[in-house]
Amino acid sequence: MSLRLDPRTKFFMMLVVSSVVLISATTPLLWAIRILMTLIPVTLLIVEKKYASAIRFVLLYASALVITFFFISEQSTGIVASVLLGYTGMIVQYLPSFITAWYVIRTTNTDEFMAAMQKMHVPDGITISLAVVMRFFPTIKEEYASIQAAMKMRGIMLGGGNVGKMVEYRMIPLLFSCVNIGDELSAAAVTRGLGGKVRRTSVVELKLTTADYILMELFAVSAVLFVYFKYFAR
Amino acid sequence: MNEIIKIDNVTFEYKGADEKLLNEVSLSIGEGETILLCGSSGSGKTTIIRLINGLIPHYYKGDLHGDVTVSGFDIRSTELYDLAGVVGTVFQNPRSQFFSIDTDGEIAFGPENIGLDPEEIKRRSDKVTEEMEIKDLLGKSLFELSGGEKQKIACASVSALLPKVILLDEPSSNLDIDSILKLKDQIALWKSQGKTIVISEHRLWYLTDLADRVIYMDEGKIGREWTGSEFASLSKNEINELKLRPLSIEQSLTDKDLTEKDLGNDVVSFEGFCFAYKEKAFLFRRPDFSCYDEDELSLNIPKVSIPAGKVVGIVGHNGMGKSTFLRCVCGLQKRCKGKIRIGDKVYSGKERLDLCYMVMQDVNYQLFTDSVENEVYLSMQERDEAKCHEILESLGLIEFKDKHPMALSGGQKQRVAVASAIASGAELLLFDEPTSGLDYSHMEKVGELLQSLASGGSTVMVVTHDPELIATSCDYVLCIDEGKVAYLRKVIST
Repeated sequence: MSLRLDPRTKFFMMLVVSSVVLISATTPLLWAIRILMTLIPVTLLIVEKKYASAIRFVLLYASALVITFFFISEQSTGIVASVLLGYTGMIVQYLPSFITAWYVIRTTNTDEFMAAMQKMHVPDGITISLAVVMRFFPTIKEEYASIQAAMKMRGIMLGGGNVGKMVEYRMIPLLFSCVNIGDELSAAAVTRGLGGKVRRTSVVELKLTTADYILMELFAVSAVLFVYFKYFAR
Repeated sequence: MNEIIKIDNVTFEYKGADEKLLNEVSLSIGEGETILLCGSSGSGKTTIIRLINGLIPHYYKGDLHGDVTVSGFDIRSTELYDLAGVVGTVFQNPRSQFFSIDTDGEIAFGPENIGLDPEEIKRRSDKVTEEMEIKDLLGKSLFELSGGEKQKIACASVSALLPKVILLDEPSSNLDIDSILKLKDQIALWKSQGKTIVISEHRLWYLTDLADRVIYMDEGKIGREWTGSEFASLSKNEINELKLRPLSIEQSLTDKDLTEKDLGNDVVSFEGFCFAYKEKAFLFRRPDFSCYDEDELSLNIPKVSIPAGKVVGIVGHNGMGKSTFLRCVCGLQKRCKGKIRIGDKVYSGKERLDLCYMVMQDVNYQLFTDSVENEVYLSMQERDEAKCHEILESLGLIEFKDKHPMALSGGQKQRVAVASAIASGAELLLFDEPTSGLDYSHMEKVGELLQSLASGGSTVMVVTHDPELIATSCDYVLCIDEGKVAYLRKVIST
């Protein structure tokens, strides 16, 4: 089964989840809404056959939840408990938006992204910059891997024990190569007509399907319920 | 024949540079002609390409005198996006010329920019993919493709704009021989469609029967000009004098496959070099693999020996395990458990990192400090000024010792990397395609460097796609195909 969600639905999901994670859940009902919201992108990952990452996220999230609820309380003391609290707190709080972002980036290609932005009447300048950023993530990963390899070969992974050097040795070659690639990339893109006055067209036809509407409604309703029960219900 | 490109008395220099890149160049190209631009690096080949596609003066700023007209457009007053449907360019570096993440989007990108109707774009993409036989590449991520496949997509995305003029700027630099032959077919297809083609290139052998006219650039001027057939009949000596790469590639290997016995005792042996990129599905811990999982392996070399103190070329198709072998040998792929045996000594695991040093294809990754001297000190256990200067002296780098490595030329950077390799005491020096994209005289210099390293007692392994380099500076050739050793042969010295 394959489910092609509209990028606009994905953006909306990301917006809602990222907002909700900034509000702390205090009652069991709020927790329930939040966990439900987390399970949706996980389910979508499974639909996309990304089983390994889905299972990894679920296990990480579940264990953080279990630790938070059963092993840490307001009375906990000691270093172990405080470190645990820090880690699990962060995971429980922010992992949902991380999972959603992961899903969105893994399943949206540049073309769909640009078409969706155009439909939402975002100016081309912003769309193109964001599209280049998306295209740059894998590039940075590749470049960084090459630099790591070079450092390993010279035995300077730890920068001779100097933290400043550790960062310097990684960042300087990375910046040099990214600037070069960026320069060549824009030269290639402008020779193919990027930045012209005519309105860009797109071969991607975006259509909101039933699945899109269901998901958007689900997220909208959860967000409204979450805010209502957090601030207004007594 | 109608004139389609006219370069009229053009002089150009980049802003801030005092050297003229082009000096009063005039060139007229007829519709449907195929032009080959040759000459050493910095002779002005790329500048001509950039003049025709308008990157000069619109993207690369500088002082431009004279006029350039392409298909009726005055380049100076035409915006780049208006030229997109007229002139298409295939660039040198496959990694930095695509805009999308996936292949379909990349082919549609140009037509979308010029605002074509989606139906028309689809028709064009279908036609292009049909013509180029790249159906199987559709729907893939560009980051998973090999260099040759990326270059094919680059050609397809240029084709989809249906330009009259197609420019290629050193398109074969990152390709192996098979991919170069496919590129040749592509150029022939364009030629048969009546496109005007201008190619700037160092590798000449694949273009001699395609070019209608060959232009030799020399220090910003047109030095010589031949028709295609005149050029193809130039003698070896004439080509040598012009410092061009040869016009044909000759196999210069002995027929006999060498075995352990032939090599004697003075060898470097590699044992148990097996590795797979394809991972078995796992959750928390990667399962190990061994040399017995034959089908899954990207590299499967149970044992191979090469003669010590020689230059050994490593050849084979792209993506068939050459670079993987190199990475495994120097211990960069931790999961490869291979051992290196030199005499009685066995190096495994991390020891391999100390024994070997790899000079990467893009040497920019390997330079970390702010001066050439410090670059060498970084590799030394203890700071030894005398030794450092001795190494720099031997590589002709002593005059640059206080310069920033990034301010040096490509060849000089490569030698700085070699200097730090020698300083680290590496006995096994590995080079990953050190001459791709170099002109003849620079290639010759790299060849001399390899030979001098070997005569200094190091064993040198060099992955290369340049038959010229093998003929001039390798002693042996190791061929790796489908992750396995195909043969080890001796090079007939010329």
